[in-house]
Amino acid sequence: MNVEITDLTRRFGRTQAVAGVDLAVGAGVFGLLGPNGAGKTSLLRMLATVIPPSSGTLKLLGRDPGSYPQRRQIRRRLGYLPQNLGYYAGFTVAEFVEYFALLKEMPPERVPTAVATAMERTGLGDKARAKLRTLSGGMLRRAGIAQAIVNEPELLLLDEPTAGLDPQQRVAFRALLRDLGQRATVVVSTHLVEDVGAACSQVALMDRGKIVFCGTPAELTAQAEGTDAEGDAPLERGYSAVLAAARTSTGAW
Amino acid sequence: MTAATAPAAPAAQARPSRLRLPGPARLLRLELRRSIMPWLLPLFAVLFWLVTFHPAMANPPFWNVRSGIVQSHTLLAFAPLLAGAAAWAGSREHRRGVADLVGITALPRWAAHLAAWAATTCWAEAVYLAGVAVLYGVTAHQGAWGGPLLWPAAVGAAFVAASCALGFTAGVLLPSRFTAPVAAFVMFLALAGGAFALQANIAYAQIWPLNVQGAFPADSYGVFYPYLPDLPIAQLMFLGGLAAAALGGLGLPAPAGGRWLRITAAAVTAAGLAAASTAVALAGTARLEPHGIVIPALHDAASDRPTPYTQVCGHTAIPICLHPAYRALLPDVTAALGAVLSQIAGLPGAPVRVTEVAVTTVKAEPGNGIALGGPVIGGHPPVLYLPLAGMALPGQGTASSIAANLRQQDGPWILSLLVGLPGQLGAPTGVNVIPDVGPNQSAQLAVVDGLVRALGLARSGALSAGIQRGMAPGSPQELAAAQRFAALPAAARHAWLMTHLAALRAGRISLSEIP
Repeated sequence: MNVEITDLTRRFGRTQAVAGVDLAVGAGVFGLLGPNGAGKTSLLRMLATVIPPSSGTLKLLGRDPGSYPQRRQIRRRLGYLPQNLGYYAGFTVAEFVEYFALLKEMPPERVPTAVATAMERTGLGDKARAKLRTLSGGMLRRAGIAQAIVNEPELLLLDEPTAGLDPQQRVAFRALLRDLGQRATVVVSTHLVEDVGAACSQVALMDRGKIVFCGTPAELTAQAEGTDAEGDAPLERGYSAVLAAARTSTGAW
Repeated sequence: MTAATAPAAPAAQARPSRLRLPGPARLLRLELRRSIMPWLLPLFAVLFWLVTFHPAMANPPFWNVRSGIVQSHTLLAFAPLLAGAAAWAGSREHRRGVADLVGITALPRWAAHLAAWAATTCWAEAVYLAGVAVLYGVTAHQGAWGGPLLWPAAVGAAFVAASCALGFTAGVLLPSRFTAPVAAFVMFLALAGGAFALQANIAYAQIWPLNVQGAFPADSYGVFYPYLPDLPIAQLMFLGGLAAAALGGLGLPAPAGGRWLRITAAAVTAAGLAAASTAVALAGTARLEPHGIVIPALHDAASDRPTPYTQVCGHTAIPICLHPAYRALLPDVTAALGAVLSQIAGLPGAPVRVTEVAVTTVKAEPGNGIALGGPVIGGHPPVLYLPLAGMALPGQGTASSIAANLRQQDGPWILSLLVGLPGQLGAPTGVNVIPDVGPNQSAQLAVVDGLVRALGLARSGALSAGIQRGMAPGSPQELAAAQRFAALPAAARHAWLMTHLAALRAGRISLSEIP
C-alpha cells in the first residue's frame, strides 16, 4: 500500500477538518468524493505533506512523513496539484515545469526530457514558450498537472484537477489518469462524480471529516438501489444515497 | 492531453540547452530569468547617473574623490531600493500562492531561498559593478593619476549583497505586499540613523557603510600614502556578518529543512552576528590619523609608507611643485598663488620653492568636523609646504573653486607665515584656533593686511576675528598703516620688505615705521 492512514485527524483551531480517517490505497486511481467542506482538501494536504496531522498515523510510500529524511524521500516521489494553483506569471510553461523538476531534485541530466514529456502528456507541447500569464484557466490547470507529473511520481495527489478543463480536455485527462494509475497511486479529490466513474478503480466518499463510503464506483452506484436518491446519473444517485444515509444516521441535515 | 506512455516528441524541447548545467546552476538560471531586478534596471541606471555619475564628474578626476562618491552616493540611493526589491522577491511565494506547491518539494527550502536571493543579488551586483566600471573607466580616460581604489567599490559590493539579504529575509519571514515598501523605508531610516550617529561623533558609528575614511575630505587620502584599508576591512566584516546572519535566519524555521540543516543555519547566523559585532567593536577603536582612519587591530604598518611619485612643477617666481595627481590643477594653483609668490619672492626667509605635501596634522572636532594642517615654511633653504587636500572637495571642488580657495585662504596664510605671525592667523575659516596676538604684532598684522588689500585678497575669517577682538589692525592707526602700505607701489613694498622683514618678523617694527 502506498498510502496507509490510521485514525488520522486534523484540527484548525476549533474546527475538526478531518475526524479520524482510516484508509489504505494501493496502485491505481483512487477517487475522493464529497461535498464542499467535507475535509477532502485537508486530507489531501496531509497526504502531500503540506500540513502535519493533528493525530493518527500516516505512512506514504512505506515511509513516515513525520521524519524529515523520510519526508524528503517521499517528496522526491510525490506529485501534487493543489486546488488553487499559484504560479509565477513571468515563467514560460517549460520554465515552470523545469523549476519544479529541479525543486523535486530530479537528476539534472533527466530534466529536459522529463519536462518535454510532461508537457506533451498534458497537451502543452506547443505552448512550451508561452508565458503563464497568457494562458487560459484550463491551460494553467494543465501546466499545474504537468509540474505534478514531471518527476513521474509514485504517489500523485490531484485536488480538483479537472476544474476549468473543457469536455474534450477532461476526456483526455481521464485517459491520462488511467495511464498514470497503471504504475502509481493516484488520489483524485473531486466533487465531479463523472470523473470518478470514468477514471477511478476505487472511490471514497467523505462527509464532515469522515469517510462514509469506500469501495468501487460500481459499489457506490449500487448504494442507490431501493432508494429515491436524486441524481442524473447512477453514480450520482449512489453518491446522494450514501450521503443521505450518513447524515440520517448522525441525525444531521 | 494524451495518455501516451512513451516519451513524447520533443516539441517542448524546441530550444534545448547546449550546456548541461548542474542542478543548482539551472535553478539559478531560472531564478535570474524571473527576477524582478531586470525591470528595475532603468531606474537604477537613472539613479546612478543622477546621484553618482553627475556629481562625480563635477569633481576633478581624483580616484579618491570618485571612489568615495561611489561608496557613499550610490549606496545611499541603491540600498533602500535593493532591500525593497529583495523583499518583494522574498515574499513572492506568499503573494503568488505557491507556498504549498514549493513547500512540499524535496529540495530544502533554505537552498531554494538562497538560489532566489543569489539571483536577485547577481542582478544588483551587476548593475552596481557596471556603474562602477563606467565611472572608473571615465576617470581613467580623464587621466587620473594612480589606479582605481578598489576598497570603496568592495564595500559597496558587500553592501549591495547585505541589502539584498536583509530585504529578502524580511520578505520570506514576514511575507505580505507591504513588506517591500516597509523594508525599503527601514533601510533608508537605518542609513539616516547611521549618518546622525556619525555626526554625533559616536565612535562605533564609523562602521556605517557609507562612511569613507571618516570625516576626511575625499581628496585627503590615498594620494601620498596608500589608501588605508582598516575601516573598509571592518565594514566588509560588518556587512558580510549581516548578510550571513540574515541568510542563516532563512534556514531557522522548521519548514526550511532537516535538523542538521537548521543547526547549520543557526551556526551561520551566530557566526554572522559575531562577525558584525566584532566589526562594530573594532570600529569603536578607530582613530583619526593624517592618512585616514586607523584601526589598531587591523592596521598594517606597510600602509604607512609613502607612495613614490615624481613631482610636476610650474614656472613662477617661486616654483610650484605638485603631486602628479594634481597635475591638472597646476595652472590654476600657479595662477592663484602667483601674485602672492611674486610679492614675496627673493625676500629674506621667503621660500625658494612651493612643494605640495600630504596633510600632516589632523584633529577631530566637535560635530564630526575635522581640522587639517595648513601651509608651513621650513627647512634650509626655506620651502613652503602646501597641502592642497580638503580644498572644498567634494561637491564644489572644481579646479576654479580650488584656485579661488587657495588665493583667498592660503594667500593670507602664507603672508602671515612670512612676517612671523603664528601660522594660525590668516588660516581658512573655522580651521584653526585664533591665538592671542600681542601688541608688538600690530605692525605684522598691519603689513599682512596691507598686502592682502594690495593683492585684492579677501580678509580671511581669522584676520577679521582678530580685528573684532580689538587687536591690530583694528585701531584707526593700524588700519591707516595697513592702507598706507597697501597704497605703495609693488616695487616699493617689496623694497621695504627686503630691508625690514627681519626686524618686522622679530617684532621690532612699530606702526609708525610702516611707510
